[in-house]
Amino acid sequence: MDLEQQDVQTPKQLYPNQKYPVDGQVFKNLIESSLTWLRTNQQAVNVLNVFPVPDGDTGTNMVLTMQAAWDEIVNSPEHNIGKLTHHVSNGALMGARGNSGVILSQLWRGFARAMDNVESLDGKLFITALHQGRNTAYKGVVRPVEGTILTVAKDIDAEATRCLADTQDPYDILERIVAAADASVLRTPDLLPVLKDAGVVDAGGKGLFFILDGMLRYIKGLPLDVAAASVQPLSAMKMENTMESIEPGQDFEVVVDFHPAEELNIPQFYEDLQQIGTSIQLGEGDGIYRMHIHVPADKVYEPIKYTESLGVVTKAAIENLRAQMEKIEHDRASSIQFTLVEPGQIATVAVAPGPGIARVFASLGVSAIVEGGQTMNPSTQEILNAFENFPTDQVIILPNNKNIILAAEAAAQLTVKHVTVVPSRSVPQGMAAMMRLIPTGDSKEVVADMNAAMNDVETGEITIATRSVEIDGVNVKEGQHICLLNGKLVFACDNLKDATIGLLKKTHADHFELITLFYGNGVSRMEVDAVVDSIRKKFPKQEIEVQDGGQPHYQFIISVE
Amino acid sequence: MTNENTPIGRVTVSPRAIATIAYQAARQSYGVVGLTSKNLMEGITQVIVKDPTHGIEVKHTEDKICIDIYVIIEYGTRIKTVAASVSNTIKFNVEKALGMPVEQVNVHVRGLRVSDTD
Repeated sequence: MDLEQQDVQTPKQLYPNQKYPVDGQVFKNLIESSLTWLRTNQQAVNVLNVFPVPDGDTGTNMVLTMQAAWDEIVNSPEHNIGKLTHHVSNGALMGARGNSGVILSQLWRGFARAMDNVESLDGKLFITALHQGRNTAYKGVVRPVEGTILTVAKDIDAEATRCLADTQDPYDILERIVAAADASVLRTPDLLPVLKDAGVVDAGGKGLFFILDGMLRYIKGLPLDVAAASVQPLSAMKMENTMESIEPGQDFEVVVDFHPAEELNIPQFYEDLQQIGTSIQLGEGDGIYRMHIHVPADKVYEPIKYTESLGVVTKAAIENLRAQMEKIEHDRASSIQFTLVEPGQIATVAVAPGPGIARVFASLGVSAIVEGGQTMNPSTQEILNAFENFPTDQVIILPNNKNIILAAEAAAQLTVKHVTVVPSRSVPQGMAAMMRLIPTGDSKEVVADMNAAMNDVETGEITIATRSVEIDGVNVKEGQHICLLNGKLVFACDNLKDATIGLLKKTHADHFELITLFYGNGVSRMEVDAVVDSIRKKFPKQEIEVQDGGQPHYQFIISVE
Repeated sequence: MTNENTPIGRVTVSPRAIATIAYQAARQSYGVVGLTSKNLMEGITQVIVKDPTHGIEVKHTEDKICIDIYVIIEYGTRIKTVAASVSNTIKFNVEKALGMPVEQVNVHVRGLRVSDTD
């Protein structure tokens, strides 16, 4: 289902000669281009999704499948294209996500089989391989539904077979099958009523088109990082929060519904609108087009005038964005900003018992938070969901509670990703470990570093006894404050201040540098300030930090390091 | 029977009817190449049986529907993903048709069909 390129050294050249064989290394570049182009257009594919509804993220699934294929060959020096393609096929199989991912992996599998141990690719073999890919993919289903990725694969194969008489040039064949794929995708609504009803084309088929188109764009030296102009279903248009920040020229949002007089030239439409404003979106459905744009104050009426020149405007709405922006910024200030996961880098997931602690973890660079703690252990599935869609396969989990370590380890078993649980038994341990995260580092070394760092911190916890008991030689009465040092009960007393001071003494805080207190949702800031004042008196040399942890049940979680 | 009361009477849907919906959904699921009976006797498998209740068991208690399906999957696909996809497709189709929640879809992979070896 794919193609080749030629001179690796000068890939940007337009239509190069085939002086160089399409071998494994050339093919590798093509796979990378496919993945890049597919990822660039991932959202465009995702919004197409209507069939089957349960699998609501076709674009993401196909990207993850291609990513797995790419990971398999990223460091491969293999020049034999047959062997390299088998690696691609294996990677796609192991990483297949969702229906579309499974079908994609079967296309690759058939494609690879045709190339068995071949040194380099020529036109004839390319056509055979496309045919094999199609055949293998069709074997996986008893009653194929037409109007899906399978139909697109079939049409690609049919066009490739027609090429046989005309050309032996893999580039020409690629160009022709990309055009065939494009046309086939556009026909999918005619074959599958559910697509027509929703006013979309098939998402999987579109994804397959992007995979092939990415290769062609690479050969032609076209950019792979700017998404194609696209029309999305009306229902998928997200009008809210499309802006990242207030920029000059984004004073007003204008939304216009219109009937074009003749068929809309979409790339031209985008180009014209880019002269007027930014954040352009175009939706189609219910027999109308809906255009969305952000414009500066002096151009408020231009989008309407422009669309009037194309047809009949049925509705127009103008909104001043400044008020809207202020609200967004306010909301954003109180929401948590996670670190974005870069492909191939190490991503971390932390379990946090309260919103304040979650925020601190986020500031330390975690990419996802799972809520949970002492009395609310998250399920394996919740942990799995937190990282399953990361675009990387290197993941570290910080359970931050001894009762959650098992669930975290179970989650690690359930995924194809390479997941390591750094068994942090408390929030302070987890934070100490996070300090050592190097997202671009070698995961084994990072994990070893994190494990070592956990031992450099003492964890104190203060909570209230729910019943009278004697543990480890400490007598506790119901309602007393009890102090745990590294999970062990060490101390009980009647008030919070004495409990905190007593606990800090047990940790030998005077030998450490930094005391961090995370106060829970059951204590007031005034109580906290009073306790902190007395800590300052007792430990004048230590730096003291106070954070609103927001955790339930525990008045304080204390880190001493 | 799965029941629903309407102002003028009752609608009942039999497990067999539900099984038929599930059967159609399974046949369209990518990677599933056959259904087989629960009791796989002496290795005799029927690839795609015509009887829609063959290979599918529908149980229901009160308002909960639970479906067990015994499938044969194409060799070379990622079984976990295919199974998850079948289960999603069945749940979606049955819920769409019945308007009732499906509590569980258990997919039992009873065999693989090898069309091509690698």
